Amino acid sequence: MLVLRDLQKKYTRFRLGYLWTLLEPLGMSLVLWLVFSVLLGARALGLQPYLLFLSVAILPWWWFSTGIGASTRIWRRTGAQLRISTLPTQLWVMRTMLVALIEFIFSLPVILLGIALTGFLPGPLILLFPVGILVQFLLMYGLALLIASASVVFPDVARLVRIVIRAMFYLSPVLYSVSNIPAGAQFLASFNPLVGVLGLYRIGWWPEEASSSVGYAISLGLCLAIFVLGLVTFKKFEPRILKEV
Amino acid sequence: MARVAIDTGIEAVVEFSGVTLRMPRQRRRRGSGRRQRLRRIAGEVRRDEIAALTDVSFRIEPGESVAVVGPKGPGRQALLRLAAGTLRPDEGTVRRNRPIVPMIEVARAFARMYTIRQNIYIVGGLLGMTPAQIEGKLPDIAERAGVSNMLGRYLNAAPPTVRQKLAWTIAMSVEADAYAIDQTLVVGERAFRQEAWTHVDKLREQGATFIISSDSPKQFRRFCDRALYVADGRLVADTTVPEALAAMRAARQAARQGDKDDGSQ
Repeated sequence: MLVLRDLQKKYTRFRLGYLWTLLEPLGMSLVLWLVFSVLLGARALGLQPYLLFLSVAILPWWWFSTGIGASTRIWRRTGAQLRISTLPTQLWVMRTMLVALIEFIFSLPVILLGIALTGFLPGPLILLFPVGILVQFLLMYGLALLIASASVVFPDVARLVRIVIRAMFYLSPVLYSVSNIPAGAQFLASFNPLVGVLGLYRIGWWPEEASSSVGYAISLGLCLAIFVLGLVTFKKFEPRILKEV
Repeated sequence: MARVAIDTGIEAVVEFSGVTLRMPRQRRRRGSGRRQRLRRIAGEVRRDEIAALTDVSFRIEPGESVAVVGPKGPGRQALLRLAAGTLRPDEGTVRRNRPIVPMIEVARAFARMYTIRQNIYIVGGLLGMTPAQIEGKLPDIAERAGVSNMLGRYLNAAPPTVRQKLAWTIAMSVEADAYAIDQTLVVGERAFRQEAWTHVDKLREQGATFIISSDSPKQFRRFCDRALYVADGRLVADTTVPEALAAMRAARQAARQGDKDDGSQ
């Protein structure tokens, strides 16, 4: 019942224009494809077909950055609602994350378009794609809980997160493949939770993504660790959050 | 799972024992975030805490109607929010044996970009109603708040008084038998107020419990049979309404006297 009520709240947002959900990642994929593939002709970057390779990672990336970005503003936007409600506080974070998830799912047709344009079909490992969605959701929920807790103590967290997200874009294999990462840095890259997540998405099309020495297990384990850490931290900060909003 | 624990093992509607709560000092958002930050750097807004409540203990029995009076400060609202469970004490425990509707700044929870109808669903839902319940009550709520003909309009279009009335009406239609009301007893024009008060009277006859905080002493005489006098975070007295009001007046006078004395020195 609670979730239903929340969904209802959410759906009203989408009147703002479903089209944008499609256009933004699509536009971003196209621009990056033009720059890196057509103009620079950087064949060494990523795997072919590059347009599809990009969009498979851009969509989850878009989901990640908008969702985490929104988590820094949760209390400012919904604090007053929290004050009059006796629903569990985590629900406010969950709701923001669900909005981002639904937007992501709505944007998936962009990948279908990419497949149609390139004619490059995925193999059986595409079954890991939904697993990727699940893991990314857990990762984002955990991170959002952490950020939501931290932002009541240090309001400046919002700015910091924005910078970190920007940096993560280049530190994660969105534009490039894990095999582009220098051998020495591959072990370090295992500690980026997004490496594992993006791997799960891409492996359906490019099984060779799995053959590098990047530690996917570490990366995915880190996702779950962040999820648990988020739950625990939020529980601890909850009274503080209720006071501050 | 819910944030607010209900303890059916106790007889009192709500029971405070040794409750202490520190609140961050006035950090209400004034101006933009940037301005706020500048103020903080300039040392104008300090981020320290004040004791909103210190070692407060009392219990409220079913059917009672209790006024929370005292000088301005964060204590009274904190007390209501603690009772409703939208705030947690730093020390001590607050137990309640039934849900208490938190009628505390309800109008602030409205979302301006949504229509009035959507807002009724949102706020009603937040206060604990199910969508089905809201649907059944929608015409009634709309009529009592006087928004029947503008349900599809955006909330921005409604003047603040209408918003206040709407907030009150929604909160009052939550099926509960305990309410924590902050300030909102005086909303709307006289006719609306009259109707609202009759409604409160009716609920009281049915055995509903009220915890009311307000700046207007007149209402207390009308509604409440008991008063908690909270000053500087302490529960100074737990008495009848006239006595508490008298004490408050005396305290105010004493404070004024004290100011004068300071001035003459």
